[in-house]
Amino acid sequence: MIKPIQANRVASRTILYILLVIVLLFMAFPIYYMVITSLKTPSEAYRLPPTLWPQTLTVESYPFVIEAWSYWRTLANTILVAGTAALAATILGGISAYGFSRMEFPGKAILYGMLVATIAIPGMVTLGPIFLAYKDLPLLDTHMGLILVFAAEFIPVAFLTMFSYFKAIPKELDEASAVDGSRLIDTMFRIIFPIALPGFAVTFLLLFIAGWNDFLFAFTLTITPDTRLLTVRLFEVPVREGVNRTPYDLIAAGGVLILLPLIPILLRVQRQLVEGVLAGAVKE
Amino acid sequence: MLVAYWIVLPAILLRLAFTVVPLVQTLYLSFTNSSLMGHPRFIGLQNYVALFQDQTLLSSLTFTIVYTVASITIETILGLLIAILLMQNLQGRWISNFLMLLPWVMAPLLAATVWKIMYYEDGGILNEVLRDLGIIHEPVRWLSDATTAKFSVIVVTVWKNLSWCILIFMAGLGALPRDVYEAAEIDGANAIQKFFDITLPLLKPTTYLVLMFRGMGEIQTFEQISGLTRGGPGTATQTLALYAYQRFFQELRYGYGSAINILLLLLTVAIGGFFAWRLYRASR
Repeated sequence: MIKPIQANRVASRTILYILLVIVLLFMAFPIYYMVITSLKTPSEAYRLPPTLWPQTLTVESYPFVIEAWSYWRTLANTILVAGTAALAATILGGISAYGFSRMEFPGKAILYGMLVATIAIPGMVTLGPIFLAYKDLPLLDTHMGLILVFAAEFIPVAFLTMFSYFKAIPKELDEASAVDGSRLIDTMFRIIFPIALPGFAVTFLLLFIAGWNDFLFAFTLTITPDTRLLTVRLFEVPVREGVNRTPYDLIAAGGVLILLPLIPILLRVQRQLVEGVLAGAVKE
Repeated sequence: MLVAYWIVLPAILLRLAFTVVPLVQTLYLSFTNSSLMGHPRFIGLQNYVALFQDQTLLSSLTFTIVYTVASITIETILGLLIAILLMQNLQGRWISNFLMLLPWVMAPLLAATVWKIMYYEDGGILNEVLRDLGIIHEPVRWLSDATTAKFSVIVVTVWKNLSWCILIFMAGLGALPRDVYEAAEIDGANAIQKFFDITLPLLKPTTYLVLMFRGMGEIQTFEQISGLTRGGPGTATQTLALYAYQRFFQELRYGYGSAINILLLLLTVAIGGFFAWRLYRASR
């Protein structure tokens, strides 16, 4: 015989699992439907009512989008820009965070406050003058220009994540190496940074994702197809010759092509995210 | 001690160059009638006076505020509840965390694209599923009806940003002291009492943190709206950021666009400052 208290527990567990399924359906169904739509034949993608599982699985929409978007070129651009900017921000922000975690100097509180306060400045507010300045410099429509903007955009996150990371590393480690007579910069690069390497890696990957996903700056500060990044391509709907309907299979395939490269990165940072890497950074 | 500045300043200077410098320029432009054509003239507060006689501006200001309040309220409540659900030691943690994080890893514009495929009005998947379930009889005009479109863009924003709120709440829940709960259990408190008497008060700082970052994020919404409705139908889903972008970059009215941006900045600072103040008081 099942005791009432056990039956109660089974019932409440069941309810929890039902709730979990509902939540996960809400989160994942739109992505499932995008993937499925991208695998339909054009005629099935237009068919009414739409199908929840393709009758004929095909990947023929992919070569079309890859061609129309110059996907490989755009992918290389995106990796170059997001990667360089994320690396620059991680290193610069990390060095600065190390200084703040270990040294006292006049104006420390003010500089810290200024850096954190800039988080409240919307990208839209800075975009106009940056655009006008880039037109004159000329940095408009260059990858260098985008890298600079992205790196500046990423500095606060890099700084705060690494700051909380360095604060968790005991200062005795620095002091022990200082006794050995090594200088501060030496200690930073030879002792502390190697210990903090996992923190640098996660920060870099989070910022890489942010650069990959940026639209506002990437859209406004690039003009020619040769400099464009992936997310911006979403605005260019590929069209089939002589077809007058929205090509949902092609739009979906484009979406998958933008999302897919991020999946390995998500798998790599998933554990740290759930364990609160982000929370540590934003709570400083 | 000079070395301290060499270490901390590069990151800060890069950040200030791309935020505070353009901000000052935006402020200056907002007092001029600068545009692509003609010589810019200083016109004092005329742009700001014009703002409050501009019907489109007033309606986008109203929508932006309603949209922000609705989004952050839903995100905070759902985020907390789902975080509690995910912390219940259910089976399949890895896969539920992965699915829960998928919207987080996507660009806002990609989220808009994914939902646009589902919102398709003539036989799109959402209308079909809802009709099969008997919930609706007529197809819902997700993006072409002024009232429904407002609801639809909020759904996309909540879907996209919920993962981040869940992550922060999970970190907050994980840091709660166990002994308080144990003491309450000895006193015979049930789950609901524990939630309202212990969890909610202890999570106040986390909640304000979520409200602060999501509030500042939602008030500047640009990408989801440009991907879903471009502010339409009419100006029903026009946000301040989108309106500023159109004035500045499409009509090339730099002065007027900058004035809208200053209004956007003030709102962002107000919402961020308010919750930062509450956060500061709650975590003392």
